[in-house]
Amino acid sequence: MATEDTAGDQLGRNAALRFEQLKGRLFEAALIAATLVGIVSLLVLFAQISIDAFQPRSASPTWFLVYLGTLVTPTAGFTLYARRRPAVRETNALAFAAVFGGLLLSSVIYVVVESLSPYDVFIYTAFAASPPVLVSVYDRATDERQYTGPAIPASIVAGIAAAALLYDSIKQPIGVAAEWIMYFGLVTVPAALVVAWLTTSRRDSRAGAVAGGAVVAGGLAVAAASIATGANTSLFVVFFSAFVVPTGYVLRRSIRRDPAGRVGVAGPFVLVGGALLGAAVVERFGVQNPETFLTPTLLLQSWDGLRAGNAGVYPQIVGSIVIVGFMAVLAFPVGIGAAVYLEEYAPDTGIRGRLATLLEVNISNLAGVPSVVYGLLGLALFRRTLGLGTGVVVSAAGTLGLLILPIVIVSTQEALRSVPNALRQGSYGMGASRWQTLREVVLPEAIPGTLTGTILALARAIGETAPLVIIAVATTKYSPPSGLFSSATALPLQIFAASANAKPEFRHGVVPAAAVVLLILMLLMNATAIVIRNKYARDN
Amino acid sequence: MSSESAEGSSLQRSGFVVRKERFYGRLIAACAVLTVAVTVGIILALSGQALSFWSQISPITFFTGTNWSPVIAEEYGVLPLVSGTLIVTVFSALIALPIGLAAAIYLSEYASDKARSVLKPALEILAGVPTVIYGYMALVYVTPMIDSLLPFSVQLIPAAVPVLPEFTLVMPSLGTFNALSASIVVGIMIIPMVSSISEDALSAVPDSLRQGGYGLGSTKFDVSTKIVVPSATSGIVASYVLAISRAIGETMAVTMAMGMSPQMPYFPNVLRNLAESSQTITAAMVQIAGADSLGTGPTYEAMFALGITLFAITLTMNAFAELVRRRFREEY
Repeated sequence: MATEDTAGDQLGRNAALRFEQLKGRLFEAALIAATLVGIVSLLVLFAQISIDAFQPRSASPTWFLVYLGTLVTPTAGFTLYARRRPAVRETNALAFAAVFGGLLLSSVIYVVVESLSPYDVFIYTAFAASPPVLVSVYDRATDERQYTGPAIPASIVAGIAAAALLYDSIKQPIGVAAEWIMYFGLVTVPAALVVAWLTTSRRDSRAGAVAGGAVVAGGLAVAAASIATGANTSLFVVFFSAFVVPTGYVLRRSIRRDPAGRVGVAGPFVLVGGALLGAAVVERFGVQNPETFLTPTLLLQSWDGLRAGNAGVYPQIVGSIVIVGFMAVLAFPVGIGAAVYLEEYAPDTGIRGRLATLLEVNISNLAGVPSVVYGLLGLALFRRTLGLGTGVVVSAAGTLGLLILPIVIVSTQEALRSVPNALRQGSYGMGASRWQTLREVVLPEAIPGTLTGTILALARAIGETAPLVIIAVATTKYSPPSGLFSSATALPLQIFAASANAKPEFRHGVVPAAAVVLLILMLLMNATAIVIRNKYARDN
Repeated sequence: MSSESAEGSSLQRSGFVVRKERFYGRLIAACAVLTVAVTVGIILALSGQALSFWSQISPITFFTGTNWSPVIAEEYGVLPLVSGTLIVTVFSALIALPIGLAAAIYLSEYASDKARSVLKPALEILAGVPTVIYGYMALVYVTPMIDSLLPFSVQLIPAAVPVLPEFTLVMPSLGTFNALSASIVVGIMIIPMVSSISEDALSAVPDSLRQGGYGLGSTKFDVSTKIVVPSATSGIVASYVLAISRAIGETMAVTMAMGMSPQMPYFPNVLRNLAESSQTITAAMVQIAGADSLGTGPTYEAMFALGITLFAITLTMNAFAELVRRRFREEY
């Protein structure tokens, strides 16, 4: 055969083969290019928006050198070091989560409670939290558990109702107390209880009592110290309880339990220390800082449409957090309940089975309804039917809650579906009822998946603008919302409103900076969801 | 749990426990039924106001009118808005559909596990960025970037050809608000919708088909384009329809980047449509909501009439996508 092949034939075949190979390679290259083009163009746009927000060109080269030396090199070195060692990496991730999570948590608590009035929040929280605690104490003491399940939510509702009824007569005596005492009750006491409970479950009740007592004593000491120095007592109490205490607890535990990964604890401190050191050097030697628009003014002041140096988005940030937080309270229980019904309760056949199919189709259709249409629903429901005022927190949160309901349901359904059936059968085999199986077996297994989905829904909600515009939420307000029925505004609305401002220091300065703040909020949420998902995937 | 010990030998649960179980079941079912209430609420809320609107302005005038000027002239012809929506939808689809499908083929057929684990979440972020930020980027960055390349003109039929009239496609320089930048960002935003649903469809094609193709001597290119993609057509079409429906409903990006001047399309120089401001259905709703004259009157109700039109379009498209996916799915 081979002898019959002339040279020309072989050449022709080789050429055809080469052509095929070339075609395959070009096709693959085109596919890669198509996959990357969207990502790259978004990155380019992000880069432009961040350059406008940070204004790096206005800084002197020395500034970059200083931070390269103090911040970038040590952090990069430490990250490289940690990447090689799994134990260190794990501790490092934990330390980062504790430090920055604690910082974020304490700022959010302080800012939100401050805008809603600490006295009101304290009264309502105390009334809502004490009855269920009493119920569970009673149930422990008497071993009479039959009524505990229904009694806990009922007692919470009763507590809130009682707080609303008695509000006027309680506000007077409580209003006399200093503000920091409210924060102490709101943050320090729960933190102490959680620490005590965790320590008790790990060691014994004596150690638990000591740990809880230490937190309370520490909180009092911080309060006393800041009163003596005239600092903002409330802020320091919150930071101590929601930042120092959890960070200390997590770091101490990982240092004790995990000698191999001990070094990882230093990760966040290398970062923060590097930033502080860099700032000190820049200050000391008078290096030219960039004229960035991401300033404390932006985060702590209210909007000023005329002078870019005075413009801030504090009320918008707080408004976004309050709206999205209250939305979570409204939408998540309903969404999770609906998913549980569809996955665990609904039969496959018969009339109710068909009803369940209808519900599924309906939910997937709701997920495709444009967000403006939800705005119209919110307008008709909250403004016309319920007669709420224009742009109050409740109607904004309710509208967004309806919008994310399908997302929450679908992601919870997926999480429930991934719980192996053997676990359910095992639980039924032990004589547990359907509800008991759900509460003790299925839901705990599905928590990571549910959490991932719900955080992604929150991230979607915080950037949602169109429904808020339709229900006529104010774009610019000069104070954060003071209650659930007071009017609020949100960060994306301010970006929308300010995009019409053609002054260069707004168009290429303050507004991109506000957009960067929104993007950071959203990316933080996405990152949290991804971390939870990855951790969960690794554990399985 | 304690009930078992209290009952002793009886396997029957006590009456209270049974009632409790039933109560929880109903509570949860009520949550699920609430989702139907949302749909019913949307339909009732929209149709009530929309019917009141159409009793004042006849639906024929509404759907065939060529002038939309609700505040000034009180003219309610929806066609300019439909044209604006179509322009954005068509051009964003021109960007997103091929790119999304190519990304899906890459992710499902070519990418290594490692590349996929990085690229998939990265693509998802495209859909997660708030649309108001897309709108801002289109207005402030994309428009000047593209405008620096313009204007250009392409002579389709040169003047030298004697019989036919001369015909030139002219792309004038862009206005501050223009449909082109809006279409580009909307296109970027709906890429992940196409890529993730198409990729699911492509991955669902069984490996035996691919192996069969290789066994017959096909190259990877042939297997991908002639076996895998045709087998997954139903899923790909469904992803296209869903992405287009998302582009139709997109609001903030088009409002910010495309402006508020409703426009009937220019013809035959279609490129002019891209360079000038126009208004979509959604943007018109935002404009009415932003105007102060809220609460009553035909202008306010017109917003609901637009809403129900939009709702009907997207609902039909979503239902169609679902139908395509179910009806034309190849069972393996």
